[in-house]
Amino acid sequence: MKFLDHLEEWIIATLMGAATFIIFVAVVHRYLSGLPLGWLQDELIQINTSWAQEVCIYMFVWMAKFGAAYGVRTGIHVGVDVVINRLSTPWRNKFIIFGLLAGATFTGIVGTLGASFVWEIGHTEQTSADLEVPMWIVYLAVPLGSYLMSFRFLQVMVHFIRTGDLPKHDHSHVEGLDDELQGAKA
Amino acid sequence: MNALIIFALLLVLMLTGMPISISLGLTVLTFLFTMTQVPIESVALKLFTGIEKFEIMAIPFFILAGNFLTHGGVARRMINFATSCVGHWHGGLALAGVMACALFAAVSGSSPATVVAIGSIILPAMVKQGYPRKFGAGVITTSGALGILIPPSIVMVMYSVTTNTSVGALFMAGVVPGLMLAFLLGLTTWVLAKKHNYPRMKKATWGERLAAFRKSAWGLLLILIVMGGIYSGMFTPTEAAAMAAVYAFVIAVFVYKDLKIKQVGKVLLDSASMSAMLLYIITNAVLFSFLMTSENIPQQMAAWLTDQGLGPIAFLLVVNVLLLIAGNFMEPSSIVLIMAPILFPVAVALGINPIHFGILIVVNMEVGMCHPPVGLNLYVASGITKMGISELTVAVMPWLLTMLGFLMLVTYVPAISLWLPNLVYGSVG
Amino acid sequence: FAQAPIVIKFSHVVALDTPKGQAAERFKQLAEKATNGRVKVEVYPNSQLYKDKEELEALQLGAVQMLAPSLAKFGPLGVKEFEVFDLPYIFPSKTALYNVTEGPIGKGLLKKLESKGITGLAYWDNGFKIMSANKPLRSPTDFRGLKMRIQSSKVLDAQMRMMGANPQVLAFSEVYQALQTGVVDGTENPPSNMYTQKMHEVQKYGTLSNHGYLGYAVIVNKKFWDGLPSDIRTALEGAMREATTYEKAIAQRDNDMALEAMKKSGKTQFIALTPQQQAEWKKALAPVQKQMESRIGADLINAINKESAK
Ligand code: NA
Ligand code: NA
Repeated sequence: MKFLDHLEEWIIATLMGAATFIIFVAVVHRYLSGLPLGWLQDELIQINTSWAQEVCIYMFVWMAKFGAAYGVRTGIHVGVDVVINRLSTPWRNKFIIFGLLAGATFTGIVGTLGASFVWEIGHTEQTSADLEVPMWIVYLAVPLGSYLMSFRFLQVMVHFIRTGDLPKHDHSHVEGLDDELQGAKA
Repeated sequence: MNALIIFALLLVLMLTGMPISISLGLTVLTFLFTMTQVPIESVALKLFTGIEKFEIMAIPFFILAGNFLTHGGVARRMINFATSCVGHWHGGLALAGVMACALFAAVSGSSPATVVAIGSIILPAMVKQGYPRKFGAGVITTSGALGILIPPSIVMVMYSVTTNTSVGALFMAGVVPGLMLAFLLGLTTWVLAKKHNYPRMKKATWGERLAAFRKSAWGLLLILIVMGGIYSGMFTPTEAAAMAAVYAFVIAVFVYKDLKIKQVGKVLLDSASMSAMLLYIITNAVLFSFLMTSENIPQQMAAWLTDQGLGPIAFLLVVNVLLLIAGNFMEPSSIVLIMAPILFPVAVALGINPIHFGILIVVNMEVGMCHPPVGLNLYVASGITKMGISELTVAVMPWLLTMLGFLMLVTYVPAISLWLPNLVYGSVG
Repeated sequence: FAQAPIVIKFSHVVALDTPKGQAAERFKQLAEKATNGRVKVEVYPNSQLYKDKEELEALQLGAVQMLAPSLAKFGPLGVKEFEVFDLPYIFPSKTALYNVTEGPIGKGLLKKLESKGITGLAYWDNGFKIMSANKPLRSPTDFRGLKMRIQSSKVLDAQMRMMGANPQVLAFSEVYQALQTGVVDGTENPPSNMYTQKMHEVQKYGTLSNHGYLGYAVIVNKKFWDGLPSDIRTALEGAMREATTYEKAIAQRDNDMALEAMKKSGKTQFIALTPQQQAEWKKALAPVQKQMESRIGADLINAINKESAK
C-alpha cells in the first residue's frame, strides 16, 4: 500500500515537472530559431518541437486522472457541506458515507466505461496527430485513474467507519511557509 | 421538464456534501441511463477529451507558479516594498496589505493563494502593532480576492475556455478594474483606520523605498514576463504560464533561496493535486454541459430568458443576483463552468460584450469568495487567524459592501473593463 | 400509423454561415423532402456536440451519424493515404482536383474508410490556400526563420520546413491573437477562412500561391448506412449529390468574395506570383512528395500526378 501511495505521488509530481520543462524548452527553441544565427539557425529549425503541446496535454490529462485519485486520499475535492454540517453527528456520518459510496460508484462505473472504450479503440489503428502513439494507450488514463479513484473512495470510507476521521485538505497550509514565519520571528 | 429534473437532482446530490465533481458526474450518468439516446460510450470519450485543450493547461502552470511564489520570500519582499510606499498613512500596515495583495495578485492566478501568501505574514505583524484581529482579517480576506481579477487569473482561463473568448484580452480587461478595486478597498481601509486612529508607521525615505523595490524586483519582474510576454508576442497565454512557473522556480530556489531543492518535489505534488482537483471538476462540468446541449436545454433556457423581454440592464441585474446566490454554495470554477454556457449565449444575443461579461462574472466570483457559507477566502483566512467563520463574516463587512458597490459599477460601465483591451488590441469581443 | 422518423445527427465544427454549414442545412432540407419526412436530419454546428478531435470517434461509436471532417483528419484514424491532399502543388487546378475526387482515385480513397466502419459519401471544398505573413513572401528564401502556423499535419510540417520556416501547431481559435501579437509570423488559409477569422487585419501580406488544398469528406457511420432501407439510401444519395454541387458553388463564391473584401479593406496587400516565382516555389516544394512517399504511398502520388498531367 505504501508502495502504491508513493508511486501515485511520484507519477503526478513528475508529470507536473516534466510538462513544464517541455513547454519551456519548446518556447525557448521557437524563440532562438527565429533569430538570425546563421548555420545555428538552420540547425535549430531542423529540430522538431511541434509535438510539445500534444505531449503536454496528454501528460496533464494523466496527471489529472491520477491526481484526482490522490486528491481523494488527501481530501482535496470540495463539496457543499454547509447543510450536512448542521445535522446531528449520526445523520451527518450517514451522509458522509453515502457521499463516499457515491464517489466509489461513479468512478467505478466510469472506470468500466473507460475500459470498454479503450478496448474498442484498441481494435482500431487510431493514433495521436503529432506523436502518432496509439490512442488506446493515451486513453488508458481514464480506466486506470478512475479505478484507482474508486479504490481510494472505498479506502477513505473504511477508514472513516473505523475511526471517524476524514482526510481534510488544509487550504491555508503552504509548504515552507512555516520556516519563513519562524525566520521572520527570529 | 427534463431541465428541471437535471437541476433538482444536481442540487440534491450537491447538498449531501459529496464532491461537486461527483454530483455533476452522477447527475449525468443517471440521466444517460434513464432519459436520453446519447450513447454511454461518448461519456468515456468526453472524460478524456473534455480537458484535451492546450488553453486549459494554463491552469496547472499558473498554480505551479503560484505555489513556488507562495513560499514567503516573494510575498515578504512585496510587503516590505508596499510598507515603504504607503506605511506612513492612516492604517499604514493594513494599506500595505492591500497593496501587497494587489502586487501578489499580479503574479498569482488564485485568490486563496493570495490570501495565504500575504495574510500569513502580514496578519501576525498587524496584531503585534495593535490592530484588532478582525480588522486585519477583513482587509486581507477581501483584498486577496484581487487574485482572480488582476491578471493572471485561473477563473478567467475557465471562462475563456467555456465561452471561446480570448484569454489575452480578458487578462488585459482585468487590469483597470483590478487597480480600481484595489484603490477602493484601500480607501475603505484608510477611512476606517482614520476613524479608529489605527497606528501609522514612520515615513520611509526614497532611498529606503528604492532598496525595498530592488529587493522585491525579482518577484515583480514576473508581472512583466506574463503580461509583457503575452502582449509582445513572446508566448501564448498557456506558454506564459509555463514560463512563469519556471521563472518562479528559479527565483524561489536560486535567487531568494526560500525553497530548498528537496522541497521542490512536495511543491510539484501539491500543485499537481490542486490542478487535478480543478481539472476533475472541469471534466465533469464539460460532461454536464454536453448532456444539456444534447438535450437542447441551454438553447431552451436562453430562448426563455430572451422571451422575458429583458433588456441588457435587467438581464445583467438578474445575472448578478443569480451568480451571487450561486456564490453562496459553490466555488468559482464550478459556477463559471456550469453557469457560463447558459448565460453567455443570452448575453451575446443582447449585445453585451463577451469580455465585459467575463469581467462581471469574475467580480461576482470575488464577492462570493468572501462571504459565507461557502467562501474559500474566508476558510483560508480562518485557517491563518484561527478566527471562526461567523466572526470573520462580520469582519469583512465594510470591504464586502465596497465590493458590491464596485460590482454595480463594473456591471453598468463597460468602459472600465473594455478601455484597456480596446486600446491594446483594437476592438475586442 | 405514423412511424417515428429515422434521425441523422449531422455534427460539424464550423459556423452556420460557412459553405460547409450552409451545405449541411441544404442537405437537411433536401433529404427530408426527398424522403417525405421519413428521415429527420438534426444539424449540430460549431462543435456544439463534439469537437474536432472527438467527432470521428463519436461517429465510429454511433453517437452521431454524419460528419464532414477535413481530409487531414483521416491520417490519425489510420488512413494515411488521405494526407495526399495536403501535399503542396499536387493539384495544379480545380479541374485536376475534381478529376481525382470524382474519379476512381477519389472513390478508392473513400473505400479505404470502410474498414474503419465509415462510409464516404462525397468530397466538399473549402478551397486553395493563400500564404500570409507580415513580410512579403515572393521567393522561398523569404520564409527563412519565419514561424508559420499550421494545422497538425506531417505533410504541412514538412512543407514549411522545406521552405526554411519553423512550423508551429496552434489551435484555430488561437491563431488570430498569435498573429496579432507575433507569437507566429504567418500562416496559410483559403481566402474564406482568412477573412472570417479576420486574419487579414493582422497580416500585412498575402501571396496568392494556391499551393495547397483544403477540403472535407462527408462521411456516415457504415453500420447505420447499410441498415437503411435501400429506397431511403438512394434518396439520401440524391440529396447529397445536390448538396455537394451547391457546396462547391458557394465555396468558390465565398472565396472570391472574401478575397475581394480583403483587398478592398486594404489591410493586407496581396501578391500574385510571376510564372517564374511560381516555378521557384514548385521547385522548392517538390521534394516534399518524395519525402512523404513512404507514408502516403508512391503509387497513389504517382497516380494523381498522372491524372493531373492529362
Ligand atoms: Na492574479
Ligand atoms: Na460565498
